[in-house]
Amino acid sequence: MSTAVDDELWSAIGDPIRRTMIDLLLSDGPGAATSLSRRLPVTRQAVSKHLAVLDRVGLIHAAPAGRERHYQVDEAQLARAVAQLSAVGATWDARLRRIKRIAETIERHRTNNEGG
Amino acid sequence: MEQGTIERDIHVNASPEVVFEVVSQPEHMREWWPDDARFESVAGAPGELVWRDADTGETKTVALAVVEVDPPKRFSFRWCFTEPDRSGQALLVTFDLIPNGAGTQIRMTETGFRELGWEVAVLEEQYRDHENGWDHYMPRLGAYVARLVAIA
Repeated sequence: MSTAVDDELWSAIGDPIRRTMIDLLLSDGPGAATSLSRRLPVTRQAVSKHLAVLDRVGLIHAAPAGRERHYQVDEAQLARAVAQLSAVGATWDARLRRIKRIAETIERHRTNNEGG
Repeated sequence: MEQGTIERDIHVNASPEVVFEVVSQPEHMREWWPDDARFESVAGAPGELVWRDADTGETKTVALAVVEVDPPKRFSFRWCFTEPDRSGQALLVTFDLIPNGAGTQIRMTETGFRELGWEVAVLEEQYRDHENGWDHYMPRLGAYVARLVAIA
């Protein structure tokens, strides 16, 4: 796994406008820069730049459609980006389960001592 | 999900005071995370987390800095610094404790991944729990709590 590519993938998905664009492309299906810019608070030029970033890391793919290019989300690549962060989250789940067990064991011992 | 932030909630059947001790005291932290944790639970205090390779005996030490200590409500610290001497970017871990019935809701957030990139996230994932699974862990916990109660 290439770290440089993953860094780019991460920062590509880290931008809120780009995340909204991915959401729109997922909910509405493949779209062009013009139609996306109508739904976003940024210029068409800005949308084109964001699309280029997403394209470069493989999160979307372009296909010619008449005079425009239509962009489509690469769901496998998107799933991969999300899975990377989930892996880190899973280690916190394990840590928190331990915190819970330790705190509850201490609490039970203290209550028993007070009661008895 | 906000990319770049990990957020977790868990309910614990223990008072916020007990939970605060467990998340903020190094002698507790080394029971739920690294092999050793050294820091004073005081805002601004520097500290270290240590992982030991069971096979080779090699140790890996990671710098930590305590950020906020507000018992029994909040404990936060930074780690995974990009520069020496606890400078540059870092991940920020915050435990917020909210009373919930007779127990406590823990909200854990870890932020800074977006700024630091994937490389640090891989690193973070490597500093996983020093032991996997409760089978090995539970017998130790019993002895540990017995010691704790004897001291109290």
